[in-house]
Amino acid sequence: VRVVIADDEMFLREGLPRLLEGTSVSVVGKAQNAQELLRCVALTRPDVAIVDIRMPPTHTDEGLVAAREIRTRHPEIGVLVLSHFLESRYAMRLLSEHPEKAGYLLKERVSDVAVLTDALQRISEGECVLDPTIVARLVNRPRDDNPLAQLTPREREVLGLIAEGRSNHGICEHLFLSPKTVETHVRQIFIKLGLGETPNAHRRVLAVLAFLRRESQPG
Amino acid sequence: LIGMLLGLAVLALARAHPDGSLAGRSVAGALALLGAGWGLVAAGVVAWRRWPQSRFGALLAAAGLAWMLAELPNPEVGSALLFTVGLVTFAVAPPLVAHAALAYPGGHIDRTSERAALAAGYASTIGVLGLLHALVFDPHADGCNFCPANLLTVDAGGAAADFVERGGLVFGVVSSAGMIVVLGLAIAHSTPAARRTRAPVLVAAIAYLGLVAAGYAYSLQHGLLSTGDVDRALWRAQALALVVVALGPLARRVRARHGRLAVTRLAVEFGEAPPLGRLRDVLARAVGDPALELAFPAGDDRYVDPSGRPVRPAPGDGVALTPLLRGSRTVAVLMHHAGLLDDPALVEELSAAARLSLEHERLQAEARGQLEELRVSRAGAVQAGDRERRRLERDLHDGAQQRLVGIALALRLLRAGISPSGAPHLDAAGEHLSLALAELRELARGIYPAALAEEGLAAALEALAESAPVPVVLEGVAEERLPEAVEAAAYFLVAHTLRQAAVTRLAVHARRHDEWLVLELAAGGPLAPDFAAAEDRVGALEGSLVVERTEDGLTIRAEMPCAS
Repeated sequence: VRVVIADDEMFLREGLPRLLEGTSVSVVGKAQNAQELLRCVALTRPDVAIVDIRMPPTHTDEGLVAAREIRTRHPEIGVLVLSHFLESRYAMRLLSEHPEKAGYLLKERVSDVAVLTDALQRISEGECVLDPTIVARLVNRPRDDNPLAQLTPREREVLGLIAEGRSNHGICEHLFLSPKTVETHVRQIFIKLGLGETPNAHRRVLAVLAFLRRESQPG
Repeated sequence: LIGMLLGLAVLALARAHPDGSLAGRSVAGALALLGAGWGLVAAGVVAWRRWPQSRFGALLAAAGLAWMLAELPNPEVGSALLFTVGLVTFAVAPPLVAHAALAYPGGHIDRTSERAALAAGYASTIGVLGLLHALVFDPHADGCNFCPANLLTVDAGGAAADFVERGGLVFGVVSSAGMIVVLGLAIAHSTPAARRTRAPVLVAAIAYLGLVAAGYAYSLQHGLLSTGDVDRALWRAQALALVVVALGPLARRVRARHGRLAVTRLAVEFGEAPPLGRLRDVLARAVGDPALELAFPAGDDRYVDPSGRPVRPAPGDGVALTPLLRGSRTVAVLMHHAGLLDDPALVEELSAAARLSLEHERLQAEARGQLEELRVSRAGAVQAGDRERRRLERDLHDGAQQRLVGIALALRLLRAGISPSGAPHLDAAGEHLSLALAELRELARGIYPAALAEEGLAAALEALAESAPVPVVLEGVAEERLPEAVEAAAYFLVAHTLRQAAVTRLAVHARRHDEWLVLELAAGGPLAPDFAAAEDRVGALEGSLVVERTEDGLTIRAEMPCAS
């Protein structure tokens, strides 16, 4: 997987390539801000761009804006946004428009090579990726008349993996289950939560995330 | 006294020779003569005493005398001198009345048009009908053998006298019409406050002048001033109008007294705290200026209005300032329409009547002013606190959090090149780092969430609900951006409620009502109704916070103005 890295912190721009040495990921470009990133992406045409959410000049959401621009301008190039924010809202801003080939991970994941390479691999293959910590928070948050209480522990596990953006195949590998068992679990979850089944994998992610976020959203 | 004697004298004259008199022998005539004459003189003298600096009183008294002097050119007067004086002055009352009405109440006549109309009035009455006519009029030649001699006669030509009299009458009609016009304009140009004072006098004067003009016009038919039935009827009507003119200033005094009574009554009312601004309303009515404003000295040349807000009283276009004094100390300043409080006696009475009330309201205004200062400084403190919180959050995010990620990255790189025996230690260090990062993230969010500053209240509350340890339901929180201080106050109110360990669930209902944000929180659990920090924030915005216990928790209702 060919990637470019955009971060205003030097240690990350320099450290990350060294950490990824010897993996299936190769760093083909680096940028310090959103402008440089867009130029770099157009020039090197990577598989995925790794983007810090806060970058100069305002240090607010330049990274998110740049990531969405890359997805619009170059549909074949994926983006992975790194952020310190656990709020699902920022992730939704990235995923709701282009769920395919997009990912949102907490920044500290950069030190976990396995998680990082897995995410980059999945994004380059067209999946969407959402940080497990964010998903866990959404799944486990207390609710009035909790509809998730109807699910078995295994089904909750499968629900979380769907929300993380994994395909049935990915869930099989993750839980060491047969494809048939996973399919049954998924069907049960959708029936119990009253969600209409969608064949499209990305629609499926968005439907589940919308369900999980529903109660906390301002009505 | 002079007026009374003159009145009695001319009344006797009229009774002695009714044919040559407008009053005649009837009771109605006597009433008209003395009522209007004495009335004007008395009202004039009273006004003169009260407002010595105003010419109005003198003019009114003079008009009263002139009204009675018109009876002098009676054949029976017996004295050539009195007869002659009467001949010259008999018609001078109308311009004097007009003059007095225009001078009411200030005593000044500013408009050129008004001066010109008065000049024409005097010229037509004293000049032509009086002096000029006296020069050419010989009563004996006119067939009045028992008339006293006219001392001014120079030419006994009857035709000339006739001509002058006709000319004078025409001129009189024209000049009366001119004076009516300027009197009407004076009403139209007055401010509502001044109009209430002036209108009674001006309107009565206009009526009088109209009757005078009608009298001149009627006399033109036979070419001379006469004492026929029609003349007498018109003359009595004139007398009635003049009585009204004389009553005008009286009406003003009655109203002023009424106002003072209201102010005095207010002093009693203060026993049970009256509503804010009541004193201003009462004073406005007493002075007769609905737009009157009240200011209280607040030390160091500063002033506050009754609600405690700083004001700068300054005289302006048609606006005058009148200080109400207690000894030499100013207790209040009235800003009012110019010319309404020219009477020092009235000001003195007003401040005497209003003293108690003024003191009361001044103290209230002072207290309110201090409260307002407190609110402003509280708002400043909250704002400075928020700025500091926001800065801290960014420092943590861009500093400490980034550093820790860097260390985690460095540890990973180290681990790759280290002996297997050292690896577990590095892994343990890595786990500690992860925990530190998670805690730091929560800390930064608690200080001032980035979502609040960057995305607004809805985003920040959504994030809060997502991470809350209990069920949180949000309703009606709009995505629109509100003033920063309002968003922060609303957010920290919800955050504070959720931070209480006893909370079991929370429903947040928000709505906009006009320019206000209304936030209703229903929190479950045995909660402490302690919301001092939130009260600080809401109070600094001039909003309100009400916390009430319910069966199973608390309801908290905050209202904050959103107009920026």
